[in-house]
Formats: sequence, structure tokens, C-alpha cells
Amino acid sequence: MSYIHFPVLAVMLLFMGAFLTVVFGRHNQGVRVGICTVTSVGAFALIAALIKPVMLGGEVISYWMGNWSPVEGYAIGIGYEVDQLGLFFALLVVATVLLSAIYSIKYMENDSSLDFYYVLFQMLAGGVLGLVLTGDVFNMFIMIEIMTFSAVGLTAFRNHKWGAVEAAFKYLIIGSIGSSMVLFGVAILYAQCHTLNMAQLSSILSGNNSPATIMAFALMFTGLAVKAFIVPFHAPAADSYAAAPTSISMVFSGMVNKAGVYGMIRLVYIIFRAMDSSALQMLMVVFGCVTMFVGVTMALAQHDFKRLLAFHSISQIGYVITAAGLGTALGLTGGLFHAMNHTLFKGLLFLCAGAVLKQAGTTNLDQLGGLSKRMPKTTICFLVGAFSISGLPPFNGFASKWLIYQAAFAKAVESGKIIYAFVTVIAVIVSVMTLASFIKVTQAAFFGQLPARLNDVQEAPTLMLVPMWIMSILCVLSGIFYNVVDKYLLAPATDAAINVTNYIDTMMGGGYAAAAGVRNIAIAPAEFSYWNPILWLVLFIVVLAAAFIVMITGKSDRGEILCAETDVEDGKYATFFSGEHSLPSHVAGSDLFWGFKKDWKKYFHVIEGLHSGIVSDYALWAVAASAVIVIVMFGFMR
Amino acid sequence: MKLKEGIREKNVVVKCGADTFLPFALVFGLCVILLGTISPGGGFQGGVIVASACLLVYLGYGYDTTSKAIKISVLEVNESLGAILYVLLACCGIVFGVRFCENVFYNCGNIGDLISAGTITFMSFSVGYKVLTGIGFLLLLLLSLLGNTDEEEEMEE
Amino acid sequence: MMIVNYVASVFLVVLGLYTIVTKKNIIKIVIGTGIVDYGINLFIVSIGFNDGGTAPIFKMSEILSGAYFVDPVPQALTLTSIVIGACVDAMALSLCIKLYKQYKTVNADEIRRLHG
Repeated sequence: MSYIHFPVLAVMLLFMGAFLTVVFGRHNQGVRVGICTVTSVGAFALIAALIKPVMLGGEVISYWMGNWSPVEGYAIGIGYEVDQLGLFFALLVVATVLLSAIYSIKYMENDSSLDFYYVLFQMLAGGVLGLVLTGDVFNMFIMIEIMTFSAVGLTAFRNHKWGAVEAAFKYLIIGSIGSSMVLFGVAILYAQCHTLNMAQLSSILSGNNSPATIMAFALMFTGLAVKAFIVPFHAPAADSYAAAPTSISMVFSGMVNKAGVYGMIRLVYIIFRAMDSSALQMLMVVFGCVTMFVGVTMALAQHDFKRLLAFHSISQIGYVITAAGLGTALGLTGGLFHAMNHTLFKGLLFLCAGAVLKQAGTTNLDQLGGLSKRMPKTTICFLVGAFSISGLPPFNGFASKWLIYQAAFAKAVESGKIIYAFVTVIAVIVSVMTLASFIKVTQAAFFGQLPARLNDVQEAPTLMLVPMWIMSILCVLSGIFYNVVDKYLLAPATDAAINVTNYIDTMMGGGYAAAAGVRNIAIAPAEFSYWNPILWLVLFIVVLAAAFIVMITGKSDRGEILCAETDVEDGKYATFFSGEHSLPSHVAGSDLFWGFKKDWKKYFHVIEGLHSGIVSDYALWAVAASAVIVIVMFGFMR
Repeated sequence: MKLKEGIREKNVVVKCGADTFLPFALVFGLCVILLGTISPGGGFQGGVIVASACLLVYLGYGYDTTSKAIKISVLEVNESLGAILYVLLACCGIVFGVRFCENVFYNCGNIGDLISAGTITFMSFSVGYKVLTGIGFLLLLLLSLLGNTDEEEEMEE
Repeated sequence: MMIVNYVASVFLVVLGLYTIVTKKNIIKIVIGTGIVDYGINLFIVSIGFNDGGTAPIFKMSEILSGAYFVDPVPQALTLTSIVIGACVDAMALSLCIKLYKQYKTVNADEIRRLHG
């Protein structure tokens, strides 16, 4: 069987797994786990087999369902088109699904009605995979709907815990507004162009912008921004990442977010090819910067482990949107690299949070502490993830954030607008605040004193540690060998997004793109300017070793000598403490940055008031933001 | 509660109405599904008409009789069987060497016959079967939740 | 003549969005979602209309180059969209039932344990 059938087979394999689980897996856990493992490994193998022809060989696979090829230059069938950009995101999707499937074998073992879990999980995986591989706008809308339903069902899965059903309801209402806007945009596009195929739309819409297509662009942009959880639409994401089971939170933040980002890049770069308009670039950069900033400041004020990680996830997607909105090849490379790194390190952080939740029983930062003595392997994986997200060299977060700073400065120099230099300043500030927030979380959850209640917490089971190890190794490797990643994965994807000729020609027949006036631009390879990752790795190991030596040679019982603990009467220090027992000296998670929060009291009062928890308020933000986007598009994009 | 008892005692008029319209719904719906390729209709539309039979039985006889007559677990399994049948028929295209969802049995019967559209007839029937069982399952599930809205739920952190 | 359809569909969409934003009963919010879907379905069906065209059911010998019929693609899109709208309503209403059992209220102002 030739490899052109592989994309469709991968999607159908995941859906068949879901259907077979309903028929055979009602009562037997072994059958369920077996079916899920077979389908995830199968989908991973099928997509990985496409790397060689598509990424390395530069070929674009175009697959018309039912063999309905275009007739007289009009596309009449549904087509799957796999180019390098789609394959890049598809690799992220299948890797996340495989690791989450391995993790959830042990994580979900105490839950009941697991057949629903596995059915919804495989439907979610198939839906997102279909979204990134398809070449037809209405098919993309259908896959968005499948993804939304499965995500809502999985958020409300543990419905005996408070907050799960509420989070699912908010996600459904706001997500339904977004999908309706995408459908409206698709309908207007069909009315104007009489085709639903992305390649043909791309060649028709180049430069002919009538008011109807601008309205369609604004509506589809808003709808996909709702799916990607950018700032006015981000509130359900914070609730649902915290309420879902952790193996699903990892899939949400690693895969479902990226589907919205992929949709926006596909819409702006390929279907409408509107990236030359400076108004659109400014809009995307402004949205991205606001997202970055609001995400990280809300995260500093949280008391719950997973809700904090959810706000950080929103903030990192702001980085990706800012970089993609710059409009240059370097910016898009940085954005795609950061998307890949975000999947890796945020998935790792969520898996560690899940291990803590399963073993210690709570995610409230005020009640955790000192878990590094009991769960050392989880602590090391968490530290790798925390260093990556803060952008410390030599991990992968540093490489992608460096590329984004560089791209913003290059854009400021090239276009002469000084405002793009402020983007770099905001990005660096947000990075510093991310580091501060993760110091708070690490201190609150892993270092500090161990409460007596958590004294017999075990290390996480091995089957849960294996995905964490794989992801942390990938984080370190993609930070050190960023050149390899750029050459084989990022440069083909960026080239596919900016040069659309190959995409159109493969789908509609040769010569179509040139007849419609689409031309190619040569892209120089991304230069990371001069920094040597091996030197940074050596420096990092030296500093870590020094800190370790200082920690060991100091007194490890420095807290206890000040307390009159065991013998209150004839301890010689008892007079100084009037016989009191020692109190735990644990710095709680919410108290670490109290000075910062006090200085910015007005800002936090306003922004926490805006996150009111009422679903009508969130819908009001969504409608208001969509109105702003429509007005900006009509005003500036003639 | 007074309202619950009112629903439990079924009116003779409602029961007769349900008895009369039930075979009509079933047969007409099946006709719309099967003749989907030669007249307006098809899988979705016919499936919903047949699924309204569940609602008619509930209106005429109450929830207890309905749940004995139409079992939820059977509907759930049959829905997935319909979906599996659809995917297998679509994969016939790959097995025969052409694309996915290709019409591979295209020259069987004349125009206007029942089985004249090849793979499309069978695919339409499997979609109709899936919608029929799926919407019936959905209706019965929501109706079962209506019976016990006054029980307490304990929540945990 | 189709302008009436388009105006009505935009009116329905705006009415549905108004309901979601201002009403406080969660069942009314779900009904608002449904109204938005119905407005969009009306819009999609009205797109395909050609004034004076026939139904798009032909034998191979009857399709000549001057055949004038209504566009069948939006009809297929509308069917799919109606089914999706029904499923969204079903899922949202079952979540409403669960919310009532847990929070003992259907007022959206009081269902806000996750905030801040």
C-alpha cells in the first residue's frame, strides 16, 4: 500500500479504536488498554513513516477522497493535503497522544466508567489529527466540532469533584460561539468563491478582497482564536485544564491549543495570504503581547497547581501568536519552534502535577510541601520543565525564545517601527515573571518542609515516569541540537507556509498557481546568532554542581537546633521559647511574592474581578473582541 | 409529587395516538433511509424519523415500559456497529486499489432501482442505522435523567 | 428576494448572541446557543438558491450545458450543521441537569466557584 493512504488511515484508525472500545471494551480494562495502545502506536507509526517523503523529500501529498479530481479547474471533492506545515503539527499530535496513552494506564486506574474515557480520548485524538491533515475548510470545521465535544466530555469526566461540570459548561458555551463563527465565515466564503478547497481558495483570494471576504476572514480569525485560547477568550481554558484529569490536561495544552494555532497560521498565511498587511501584523502582535502579559500575571496569584500551569500555557501561546504575527520567516520559525517546545515542556509539567495529585491527593499549593524527599525522580523532571519554560540555557525554551527576541528586533530594524522593539522588552519581562512563578511553585510543592500528613507518599509508578523521562530527554536534546531541529523540521514547515505555489499546484494541477499570480519567495535559513550550546551546558552543570556541594556541606538540620522539640523540660534552650514546640517553617505557595502583589494591588483587583466566573461575562468578552476584530479588519484592510 | 403522578397515569387518548403513529413513524423513516439515493432523504433525515419512535413510546406508556421495551445497552453497541460498518465500507476503496471512499460497486442495477448507487447505498444505510440508534439512545438517556431530579449528590474536593 | 432571508438570519444570530450575553438562567443561555445555530443554518441554505432553477436530480443523459439548477452543496452543509446543533443542545442540556443537581440553582450568577 503506498504511503499516500497513510494520512486517512491514521485518522480512521483512531476513530475505529473509539468505536471498537464501545463494542468490546464495556467491562474489560485489558481490552480497552490494548485497543488504545494499538491505535496510538499505529497512528504514530503511520505519521512517522511520512517524514521521509514529505519533510526530507519536499513532496506534498494530495489525496482526493473518492478520486474526485478537479474538473475544468474547479475542485469538486474533499481533499486531504499533507504539506510540511501540516506534518509538523501532526507529529506533535501523535507524539502527545502516545505519551498520554501510556501515562493514563496507571493514572486512571482508580476511576470508574473508563470506557467513556477511552472512547472520548480516541475521538479527540482522531479529531485533532484530521484537523491538521485536511485540505478542505468545511472538513476543518467538522473536525473542530469533534474536538470540542470530546474535550467538553473529558473535562466533565470526574463529575464528583466540584468544578468539573461547571468548567465543562463554560467551555461548551464559549467553544460553541467560536465554532459558529467559523461556520459563518465558511458559508460566506462559499457564497463568494463557490469552492471549499483550501488550495483553490488560496489562488482565488489573492489580492481580491471584497467586503464579504473581509467579513469571512474576520469571523474565521475570531473563531479560530477562540479555539486557541487567546486573551479575551481564555477564561474557560483556565477552568477546564484544572478540572480535567491530568493526562487529558496534557493533551489539551499540548495538542488542542496547537490545533487553534495551526488553524490561524493556515488561514492567515495560506488561504488568505494576508500577511503583508501591516494592520493584521499589528493586530496579531498586540493580541499576543496582551495574552503573554495577562497569562503570567494571573498565574502569579494562583493557589492551585494545575490552574497556575493552565495560565502559563495561555501565556506561552501568546509567544507563538506574537512570533507568527510578525510576518517574517524568522518570526514564523521562532513561533513554530516555540509551539513544539511548548508541547514538550508543558506536557512534562502537567505530567509531574498529575503524579503529585495522584500520590499526595491534592493540588492546593498551601497544603503541599517538601515532596522532593519522597518523589525525587518527579522533582528532577519538574525542574527540567521549569528551567525550559523560563528560558534558561541550554534547554529548548531558551533557543526558541531567543529566536523570537531576535525576530522582533529584526522586524523593528527592517520596517522602521520602534514599537516592535517593545515586543522584545515585553517578552523578556514575561520570561522573568515566568521564572519567578516557577520558583514559587517549586518551593511550594517540592522544597520546604514536609507536612506530617504527606509523610508516607510514594514515588509515582514506573509507567507514569516513562513518559516524563522521554519528554525531559527530548527537552534537553532539542535545546542542544537546535540546528538539527531547524534543518529537518522547522525550515521545511516555514517554507511551506510562506511559499504556497507547491501547495496549490499539487492539489489543482500544474500551472494553476502561476496562472493565478502566486509567486515564490526565497527564504534564508534561520540564524540563531552566536551562542554555543555546549559551553552553556558545561556552565550549567558546573553551577549545579557548586550549588549541590554547598547544600550538602551546610548543616541539614539548621531548622531544628532552634527548637525545643522532644524534651520540653530539660532541653537547654527551652527557656528561650517558653517551652513551645517547633512550628513548621513552611513558606506557603501564595505568600512568596506578596510584595509584588501588594505593589500591584489595583491591577490585580481589576483583573481578578474580570475573571468573575460567570459564563455571560466570558461570552460578553468574546462578542466584544470579535466586534473589535471585525472593525479593525474593515477599517484597515481594503 | 403531584406532577410525577400525573405523568405516570397515561391518558387513553395519548396511548391510542402513540399506538396509531408508531408503525407509521417506523416504516416511513425506514423508507426515507433506504430510498435515499433515488429520492430526497437519506441517512440523517430517515434516522431521526425512526428515532422519534422512542419518544412516541415514552409519551404513550411512560418511562418504565419504554426502558423494558428498548434497552439502552443494545442501542449503544449498535450505534458503534453502524459506525464501524461505515468505515469498513469506505476502506473498500483502499482494498480495491483506488482512493478512500471510492464508489467501487458502481455498475450494479439500473437507474431507479433500490440498489443502484453502489457503495453509496450501503454507506447511506449505515449512516441511517447509526443515526437511528444514536438519537434513540440520546433520547432515552435524557428521559432517564428526568425521573430522578430530586436526589442529593455529594461532592468531594 | 433572498435579501429577506439574509436579514432574518443575521437578526437570529444577533438575537442568539444577545441571549447568551444577558440572560442569567443557564437554560436560556443554551437556547441562545441554539438560536445562533439556526440563524447560520438559514444563511447557508439561502446561499444556494438560484432564482428559477430546478431541483438538482438528473440522469446522465439529461445534463446539458445549459442546465440551471439550485446548488446542492449548501444543502449538504446545512444537514450536517443541523445535526451538530442538535448534539450541542443535547450535551449542554445534560450538563445543565448535572449542574442543577450539584449547585441547587440554575442562576448563572451563583454558579461561579471557579473564579479569580
